[in-house]
Amino acid sequence: MELTNISFKKYRGRRLDPDQLAGHSVTYWKDVWRRIRKNPTAVLSLAALMIILTLSVIGPIISGHDLSTINPKRANMNPSAENWFGTDNLGRDLFTRVWYGARASVIVALVCTLIQTVVGCLYGGIMAHFGGWVDEVMMRVIELITSMPTLLITILTMMVLGNGMTALLVAMSITSWCGTARLIRGQIMQLRESEYVLAAVALGASPFWVILRHLIPNTFGLLMLTIATSIPDYIFTEAGLSFLGIGLQPPNTSLGVLISIGQQTMDFFPIQLLFPALILCVLVLAFNLLGDGLRDALDPRLRQ
Amino acid sequence: MKKLLEVRNLHVSYHTYAGEVQSVRGVSFDVHDGETLAIVGESGCGKSVTARSIMGLIKAPFGEIKTGSELRYCGEDMRAFDAKKWAHYRGGEASIIFQDALAALNPTMKIGKQITENITVHEHIKKKEANERAESLLHQVGIPDAKQKMNSYPHQLSGGMRQRVMIAIAFACNPKLLIADEPTTALDVTIQAQILDMIRSLQREKNTSVILITHDLGIVANIATRILIMYSGKVVEKGTSEEIFYHPVHPYTKALLRAIPKLTDPSKGPLYSISGHPPDLIDPPQGCPFAARCPHCMNVCVEAHPEDFDCGAGHTAACWLLHPLARHIGSEVE
Amino acid sequence: MLSYSIRRFAEMILTLFIIATATFFLLAAVPGDPLTERVEKLPPQIRQNLYEKYGLNKPLLERYVITMRGLAVGNFGESIVYPGQTVQSILQEKLPASARLGIQQMVLGIGIGMILGIIAAMKKNTWLDYGIITLAILFISIPHLIFGLLLQKIFAGELGWFPVIGWPKGKDLWTGGWQYTILPTLAGCFSYIAAYSRLLKTSMLDVVNQEYILTAESKGLSKMHIVLKHVLRNSLIPVITNLPMSIAMCITGSFFIERIFSIPGVGMYYVLSVNERDLPLIMGQTVILSIIYIVVIFITDILYTVVDPRISIQGGRR
Repeated sequence: MELTNISFKKYRGRRLDPDQLAGHSVTYWKDVWRRIRKNPTAVLSLAALMIILTLSVIGPIISGHDLSTINPKRANMNPSAENWFGTDNLGRDLFTRVWYGARASVIVALVCTLIQTVVGCLYGGIMAHFGGWVDEVMMRVIELITSMPTLLITILTMMVLGNGMTALLVAMSITSWCGTARLIRGQIMQLRESEYVLAAVALGASPFWVILRHLIPNTFGLLMLTIATSIPDYIFTEAGLSFLGIGLQPPNTSLGVLISIGQQTMDFFPIQLLFPALILCVLVLAFNLLGDGLRDALDPRLRQ
Repeated sequence: MKKLLEVRNLHVSYHTYAGEVQSVRGVSFDVHDGETLAIVGESGCGKSVTARSIMGLIKAPFGEIKTGSELRYCGEDMRAFDAKKWAHYRGGEASIIFQDALAALNPTMKIGKQITENITVHEHIKKKEANERAESLLHQVGIPDAKQKMNSYPHQLSGGMRQRVMIAIAFACNPKLLIADEPTTALDVTIQAQILDMIRSLQREKNTSVILITHDLGIVANIATRILIMYSGKVVEKGTSEEIFYHPVHPYTKALLRAIPKLTDPSKGPLYSISGHPPDLIDPPQGCPFAARCPHCMNVCVEAHPEDFDCGAGHTAACWLLHPLARHIGSEVE
Repeated sequence: MLSYSIRRFAEMILTLFIIATATFFLLAAVPGDPLTERVEKLPPQIRQNLYEKYGLNKPLLERYVITMRGLAVGNFGESIVYPGQTVQSILQEKLPASARLGIQQMVLGIGIGMILGIIAAMKKNTWLDYGIITLAILFISIPHLIFGLLLQKIFAGELGWFPVIGWPKGKDLWTGGWQYTILPTLAGCFSYIAAYSRLLKTSMLDVVNQEYILTAESKGLSKMHIVLKHVLRNSLIPVITNLPMSIAMCITGSFFIERIFSIPGVGMYYVLSVNERDLPLIMGQTVILSIIYIVVIFITDILYTVVDPRISIQGGRR
């Protein structure tokens, strides 16, 4: 570069505003989404999840078979062009039944997660909002519930309420909201202590605004993570309860019911156990991997 | 004087999601036997990264010392050190004190053990001897009832005491080089002076060279032999302590000096501060990094990075104002 | 320390009392009573006697007081499904099987899990790390019951290496009959391996990023020394936090594994007694399992203070 006298004249051009200069401001959520997309496992599990969910909706329709039509002549068939996953001991089409069961399992898990999130947020919010003895008492209740193995409470509740769908939903979510409530309470307490919220309140921000602007963005990520890890847990528990004869029972269908039926004929027709078990595992695996990807995306520090 | 440490053209980058952060961009300096070199700059200017590079604490795959960087200890190429050499060098030849002693001390290990493990690794002496040595070290750094404190955990001590423990650890094996990375920033002002004094007296006693890293130009005045001013990963000015304090030439150094509050200042105006932020090191500007904040910014400043201009007596500064062509238009600048 | 222990003990008793009360009233709310099905075909007089024997003809509150008084002295009453056997005698018979299965699972599972976690953390971003973590997620995604069925089908059914069902009895109760215990132990321990390897890896990586590890490195300590003396102990807190969950996992797991391998333990009999509405037996087992769980929570709290000197017992609740 050639230096001339002009080079040493006072610079009159626009100088970049140092505030703009410092840091590429990519918003947090865009960043999270970008990290998830860059994570092949997360993308793959998202795709697997989409396929399973789609099949659980359209599977029973495209199979050309009915859920409960019994056909003793075609009992215990191996997979064929007619029955893609074979048939069960009553000649019912397994492809239809498996996807129907997957649909039921996913719906149960989603509803339970919804209950857990809503109850947990409300309970945690009330604890943090009132504080003092209300908080103390409500915290004691949580401690009490969590000082007993979860499955025992679920089983006892199922005993009281019977084997129906509603009973199952109640029994499975009766303890699970505690963790969410603690999380929400902790987040609100922490936020309340934080200086920028103090500043916002001091400047006259309404509580509603504080919640909208600070609490939700801060808590959303953790909540997403809880939800992502809760869903496979519920799918597990549902399957387990059905297997033990405590959860949903035939004629209801779910992956758990199908697995427990499959187990009875395992020695002769392992295919009937294989498909529901396989789909259960893939479903749970996909949710777990997605949750892992989400955790990494939310907290890149952990990847180091 | 013998050169203990030579740093030439040091480039260090950190790989993050947002891109490659070029924390240190071509830093060169020497450390001589027994001297105190101060590296001064605001946070994020690369001074701590420089310190960590010297201790070999830049870790792959996120941190990377770029090829072409040279680090020599007693004439030996540190980049070719193997694990054994490093183990001998770290703790034995060179040691480091961090800013936050609470974070830098293992919370679940007794402080006695944290000192003796340093000793037993480098000198094959018995546990009992090491214990005695650690105790006398604690005594030396001014910790009362050293014997009892050997069995304390870091959280049981005050901030000043913890920093003294760090110093005891650092001096445990009589290192030739001590890096003090903002050793007093986290402490009360009254304790700051005590800690600096102690580092100085231990340094004299053991003839240790010290690299003192700080953002506070005020504390280095009495201690440093030479001063290095860093800005956005580059050395902008270096020279002896007197030169920097009495004849600063770089606008950034001048600004730093003006930012030191003085009791004797007659004007009752607000304290001086440098407006704006340092540039983003993911995409550093092609010109002088200080151009955007500089009161004397010229056309050339935004176009090209200035070379080091010699101001005599080992005093150099990287500023276009020192260019011969700029000198005779100096009046316009001032 | 003493006053803390006393307070904690009182709290534990109170918790147990509330759990027992809640269980009692929950069971009282179960539609129908356990005798309905059994006594239908019996003459009215015998039916009447049976009801009196189990105290089911008394009002609810009186039954509650009797039950709680019994619990206080360790008397859980008599089983309805297995007449003539007290709940204690049944528990005494079933608990050892479950305990051995649980201990074997946890020791093996947590041990291997932690070793794999350390390896994954030390060799992070290598194929070894990816392999271990992939395996861990895979294991976590396979339920106990499917894993159990799979192992049983392959190693007992197809290959015939191990007996399909059964459990050592008599003098083999604790130390013999390994061929029976291997498959159930494996079926249960995988979830621990998965959980603890992931947990310890994450926690170790967290610790490795702490500044005191830089200090340790700057002392010139070897990598092994740093991991063993500095990283590991500081990484144990999350592992300890997870202990009560592991006990819960063990209890949950036993429900499935004992059922699959026909192991005469508490897990299997809990489900049986629930299906049979054997109220005293359910009550007894619920209380026992809760005691185990609560004691583990207590031990966990003590362990915290052992591992981390910053946590003091006097602090009480965290």
